[in-house]
This record gives sequence, structure tokens and C-alpha cells, in this order.
Amino acid sequence: MFRTSAARRASRLARSFATVLDTAGVKVAAVDNGEATSAVTFLVKAGSRYQNKPGVAHALQNFAFKSTSKRSALGTIRESELYGGVLSSSLSREHLAVTAEFLRGDEPFFVDVLSSFFTNAKFTRHELQEYVAPVCEAESTSSASNPASHAIELAHALAFRNGLGLPLYASAHSHISVEDVKQFASSVFTKDNVAVLGTGISQEALSKLVEQTLSSLGTSGSVSSSSSSYFGGETRVDSHEGPQTVFIGFGQAGAFSPELAVLNAHLSTEPSVKWSKGTSPLSANIPANSSVQTVLLPYSDASLFGLLVQGATTEDVKAAGKAAIAALKEAGSIKGEELQKAIAKAKFTAASAAEGRTGIVSALGPKVLSGSASTLENTLSAFDKVQTSAFSSATASLLKAKPTYVAVGDIKTLPYADELGL
Amino acid sequence: MFGPLGLSLAPYIRSSRTLTRWVKPVANWYVNLSGYRKLGLRYDDLLVEEREDVQRALTRLTPRETYDRAFRFKRASHLSVNHVDLPKEEWLKPEEDVRYLKPHVQDVASEDSERAVWDQVQVERR
Repeated sequence: MFRTSAARRASRLARSFATVLDTAGVKVAAVDNGEATSAVTFLVKAGSRYQNKPGVAHALQNFAFKSTSKRSALGTIRESELYGGVLSSSLSREHLAVTAEFLRGDEPFFVDVLSSFFTNAKFTRHELQEYVAPVCEAESTSSASNPASHAIELAHALAFRNGLGLPLYASAHSHISVEDVKQFASSVFTKDNVAVLGTGISQEALSKLVEQTLSSLGTSGSVSSSSSSYFGGETRVDSHEGPQTVFIGFGQAGAFSPELAVLNAHLSTEPSVKWSKGTSPLSANIPANSSVQTVLLPYSDASLFGLLVQGATTEDVKAAGKAAIAALKEAGSIKGEELQKAIAKAKFTAASAAEGRTGIVSALGPKVLSGSASTLENTLSAFDKVQTSAFSSATASLLKAKPTYVAVGDIKTLPYADELGL
Repeated sequence: MFGPLGLSLAPYIRSSRTLTRWVKPVANWYVNLSGYRKLGLRYDDLLVEEREDVQRALTRLTPRETYDRAFRFKRASHLSVNHVDLPKEEWLKPEEDVRYLKPHVQDVASEDSERAVWDQVQVERR
């Protein structure tokens, strides 16, 4: 009884988001669950994999809400403060998302703020120097000083080289000029490259506003990224900050397979109950001062699955890494109940990720943009089809490829890939 | 209020052909008399730079403009110390006397006034 009602609710949510309307060439999708606040996200295929120069996408992200020919940067901020709205922009390897959250009824102003960035942003040189570049530098520095994010960034470069392997952040030494940003913006800000996603706003209202404000956008862009292929490799970077870190990644070109999510759920050390170690095969054998986290990064045409091993000393990391690799090698042969458990956990993770405002945008937004059916049901039913044989063969093929191995920390004593049993 | 960044009658004079014809020779005579072109300086080099808005405008110059400005200052002060002018063929030509700094100062000033407007804005509930 309870299970069916929950399933019905999930499907209703998915159905209401699946109505993707093509408004003057721009894809518009909205869910209205009667919230008191609305959020509108402009999702653009302008992530770091599409950039023609390293760091341009990051600079473009931080140019959001700077001066346009309609209002200055200060005017945008002050006016949206008066309306009580929150403006934000985020960048991933695939997408740039520019979001405004606001009270119901203020949508004409906030949709105008968002679309004026797309249609008539000024991209002035002094704003790049005074506001954008310092933020870019701070973000890239903080990402590089965190060993975990640094290791994953390096792993992308090793695993995919071009495209997805391009750096997400503009480093302090990347010379980005306003002309580069302008050129990149004009190539990605086109109608077929932008999707407008709304929550807490009706489809008709959003479509009408988008039609009014985005009509001057160019129709087709010249943005392209070569399709990803997986390479793998090994790198070691000396670092004196944070814990000793090793990232062991396994990549796959092609569409995301649910088997990978099941494997991730099987190995994930995140306990379902507080203060417990969890029942993951990983968590039993790792030393006390170390941690192993599973990392699953699905992209449109490739995915990267990895184990992030961190510890206070390199001996701990070595022991934990050995245990993690052993557990990963055994994971392919799980059967019956254990597989069902992992499938259920993966399903729950996927379903709960598509809940909430940011979850809806990040889980279903890319599907809206690519024009495929954007329902949660499709995603969840794919998990039911996972069989023991398909799972073990998927795991075996994942392990057969050359692993991506990144060590960050005291590289003299951190283990090499072959020392962990790879 | 007065000086190179203050009020100016120039747009009004330029809008009238008769006035332009009358005033232009006097203006040219005055510019030559003031002598900055003989030291190789531009008019915008004379802007009072000990002001916050002009300082901020100076940071917005391109690296090339900043370098050229420093070069002109160095050359001019050297000439001034030696009590000589540049040789006549090196004097700044009228067409080279570009207002390279004024647009930036005006931008900064308009940003400052916009900030003042937003700081004192009265919000009405409708």
C-alpha cells in the first residue's frame, strides 16, 4: 500500500516535468508543486568540455549577473535584493547553470535578469579584472588545495585527456581575455543550446516570459566537443596540505549504465544508519585512520567510477587501498540478495537525487536539453533490469581497462598502482 | 566642478557651426600656448589623478596605454628638468591628442553615482 502510493507520487512528479515545450526554439520545462518560492534555471551546454581555451567556461560562469546593457552589475544585485531573490551560477564539465530563486510573482523581473545575461551581456574588461578574475583564481586555488578535488581533477585529465579532461577551473596562470569570453559566449548562447527549467512556476507563464525575453538569441551555435574515449594512466603530485590521498578510477566511454550505479551502491561506504560502519564490503577491512569513498561521475557519453582513499599516514592509505581493490575485484561475483540490496540502494539514491529543487534540475535538466524523455520512471526501471550476469560482465570490463591512478600527498611513500594489486 | 573633468561648454559650442568657427582658432591658440604638446603629453595626462575615481579609471587602461602614459611622463619630466622642449617634429600632433582616460573616468563616476542612488533608494510597497 505504502510502496504503491510512493511510486505514484514519484511518477506524477516526473510526468509534470516531462512536458517540454519548444518555445521559439528554446526548450522550456516546468514543475509546479505549489511551493511558495519559484526557481528558474537557464541550463546551457557550456561546461568545461566545450571550451576552446582552458578556463573560458569558468570565466563565463563568473560573468553571470555582471553588467548588461539593461542594468549594471550593482543594479542587478541591489534590485534582486529588494525583491528578496537569490542569484547563483554553477559550472560542471557538461553544463553551465544560471539560477534565480525568488518569491512567486516576481518572475518577470528575474527571468529578465537571467535572459539579459544571455542576450546582451557587456563583458567589459574592467569587470573581468576587478570581479571575475579574482573569483576564478580563488575558486581554482581552493579546489587545488583540497587533495580530494585536486585528485579527481587530475584523474579527469588522465582518463579523458580532451573534452571531459579539460580543467574545470581557470587556473591563476590561464590568460583569459574578454575577447575569449565574448567569443565563447556567442558560440554557446544559442537557442538550441539553452534549456529553461522552472520549479514552482507554471509552464505557460514561463514559456511566455522566455518567448518575450529570449527571442533575440541566435538560432544555432558552433559549439562542439569530440566524443569521449577513455585512456587512463598514472600520476603522482606532491602536496603538503590535507590528508594523504589516492584516487583509483575506472572509466567507460558510452552512455551511463545502471550496472555502474549498482556497483557504486554495493561498495559505497556511506552507512544507512548513523554511527555504524555500514555493511559495505569496503568498510570492514579499512584501517581506523583512513576512509574510502566511492565516486561515481556520469557524463553524457562517458562515466568515471572511482575509489577515493584518504588517510592520515601513507601506511594507512596503502592498507586501505589494498582492501578497497580486493573488495572491488570481488564485487563482480555478488549474487542474489546482495545484488538486490545494491539495486535497491542505487534506486533509492537515483530517486532521492531527483527530489528537491537542485535535484530536479541536475537530474532531469540534461535530459530536457538533449531532448530525450525526462522521466524518473525510465531511470528507475533500468535498475530493475540489472541481472547478475550483466552486472558481473560490466564489472569485469570496467576492471579490464587501464585504471586511472592519482596519488596526491607524500609521493615518496604513497603506494604505486601495482603495489595495491591493480 | 571646473577643470578637465567638470562642466564644459564644449558640446554646446561644437553643436553650433558659427560658434565653432569663432571659438576653434582661439581654442587651438590656447592649447598651443599651454605647451603640453611640446613636451609630448596628451590632454588626459593633465587630469588630476589624486582622486579616487581617476585612480580607479587608471587601473582600467590597457597595459599598453599604461606603459605609454608612464613613458610620456618620464620624457616630459626629463625635458622639464632640462628646460627644453621636444624638437618640433616630435611635438604631439593634434590628431594624436586622444581622450584615452576620460571615458573610463566617466564610467567610474556614473558607477559611483549609481551606487549613491541605490544606497539612498526609497522602497515603496505597492
